[in-house]
Amino acid sequence: MKSMNKLLAATFIILFASYAFADEIHPGKIKSETCTGCHAIPGYNNVYPTYKVPKLAGQHSDYIVSALKAYRSKDRNHKTMHANAIGLSDQDINDIAKYFELLK
Amino acid sequence: MKIMQLLMILGLNLISTELAYADYDAGKAKAEVCAACHGADGNSQITIYPKLAGQYKNYLIHTLNSYKSGSRKNAIMNGFAAGLSDQDIEDLSEYFSKQDGLKVLPMK
Repeated sequence: MKSMNKLLAATFIILFASYAFADEIHPGKIKSETCTGCHAIPGYNNVYPTYKVPKLAGQHSDYIVSALKAYRSKDRNHKTMHANAIGLSDQDINDIAKYFELLK
Repeated sequence: MKIMQLLMILGLNLISTELAYADYDAGKAKAEVCAACHGADGNSQITIYPKLAGQYKNYLIHTLNSYKSGSRKNAIMNGFAAGLSDQDIEDLSEYFSKQDGLKVLPMK
């Protein structure tokens, strides 16, 4: 009986663990959906002036955080990026930055 | 006639843009200054400094020009960029854009 209990317990632990890890979506993934409209399209152009919107996958999260905060405060000038960053909390920015850093 | 002249000027501009010559090896040599913060190949180890490796070349050019003109403000980068010629910026951007590093975000 005791071994049966142990087996059951182990089964539940494994089931719970696999459920927890498999279905866990990074909060930064959800919060960065808007970003993909430009930053996930290879070669997508900014216009006036024309240059390609930067690649972000694999970038350091510390740098992404400072960039988004600078756009939010208008220390760094870019209309579209300011418009997107103005609605982000510090927590949102941290989540997005951590997610981008994880991507390779 | 005016239109023809205009077209000719536009055409010449396009040709001169095409001829802008980026020197990878010169860029590699010039990048030694950048390496202290951004890493030799642009994959910085210090996380407050952005990775440059694999970044789009014309984004890097835009960035360096913005630092040079002062439209983007950073005490360190404004100082470095002030001393760069158009050719330096072209060469450095060529070098870093050709290194393996950053990628475009995945769609899903």
